[in-house]
Amino acid sequence: MTDSETTQGRAAVPGAEVDCSEVLHRLYEYLDGEMGRADAHRIAYHLAECGPCLRQHDIDQAMKALVKRSCACEEAPAELRVSIMQRITNIRIDY
Amino acid sequence: MTDNPATDALDETPEEQARSAQAEADATVDVASETEAERRARFEREAMPLLDQLYSAALRTTRNPADAEDLVQETFAKAYGAFHQYRPGTNLKAWMYRILTNTYINSYRKKQREPLQSDAAEVEDYQLHRAESHSSSGLRSAEMDALDRLPDTEVKQALQSLPEDFRMAVYLADVEGFAYKEIAEIMETPIGTVMSRLHRGRKMLREQLTDYARERGIVKEGASS
Repeated sequence: MTDSETTQGRAAVPGAEVDCSEVLHRLYEYLDGEMGRADAHRIAYHLAECGPCLRQHDIDQAMKALVKRSCACEEAPAELRVSIMQRITNIRIDY
Repeated sequence: MTDNPATDALDETPEEQARSAQAEADATVDVASETEAERRARFEREAMPLLDQLYSAALRTTRNPADAEDLVQETFAKAYGAFHQYRPGTNLKAWMYRILTNTYINSYRKKQREPLQSDAAEVEDYQLHRAESHSSSGLRSAEMDALDRLPDTEVKQALQSLPEDFRMAVYLADVEGFAYKEIAEIMETPIGTVMSRLHRGRKMLREQLTDYARERGIVKEGASS
């Protein structure tokens, strides 16, 4: 991070004070879609102006995609399905 | 695909139409007047399709296939036993995940005697919003490419190495796409704890994987020159 980049990010959004530290702290909320519109807008604006934060954003985004890809759904063994069905058939429910 | 104009308009086959009609009926069923046979059939229709997903989650949770099978079997048995308590039309997947997580914590974690993460201090740390700065983990494009090409086994291994609560939070968010609120319900923790676990878990994961990608990026460049 360089001072000029940080200052630039701040100055570009008058009244919407957001610094690198806050952006980095809340990047996951931003990436997870857990942020209100106004906040997301502030972060997006900062990312457009700040190279180092954008690079961090890109890595975190790639990381999310990587985890999702690597843990793709695996098929359960056929016997497991059979034994679950058997077990369920034998369960009596008492209310 | 069919001559029925009504079906064509909806772009659904008759089978699909029947299935969505059934799903609608299942979502509004009156649990109190349902017979046991009807309930079992509804469970089969609604819960059994989640088997592969829950098995995959159990694999990532228990870290071995035999325990994963036991955990999933236990989960489905409990879910069926409590199916009359499940409110039709609500999020069944989240409900099943909650049972899976509970079952795991109550039986398997005890068995393994893995210490519970004491995370009060960490949540506080996270909420205090300690100053963060750009890490040195900025990757060059060759390393970004290496990251994209990381083998699945490497990523799974890195995930396995995370403390359990972090691993589950990351899995639920990134693989299953659950919202923070849903993860909080599944893990029975406040949202702040979920956020802190995600934050720390992902950071650890990032460090491990970027190190690995960096090594590979360098190796690749060296090999091609």
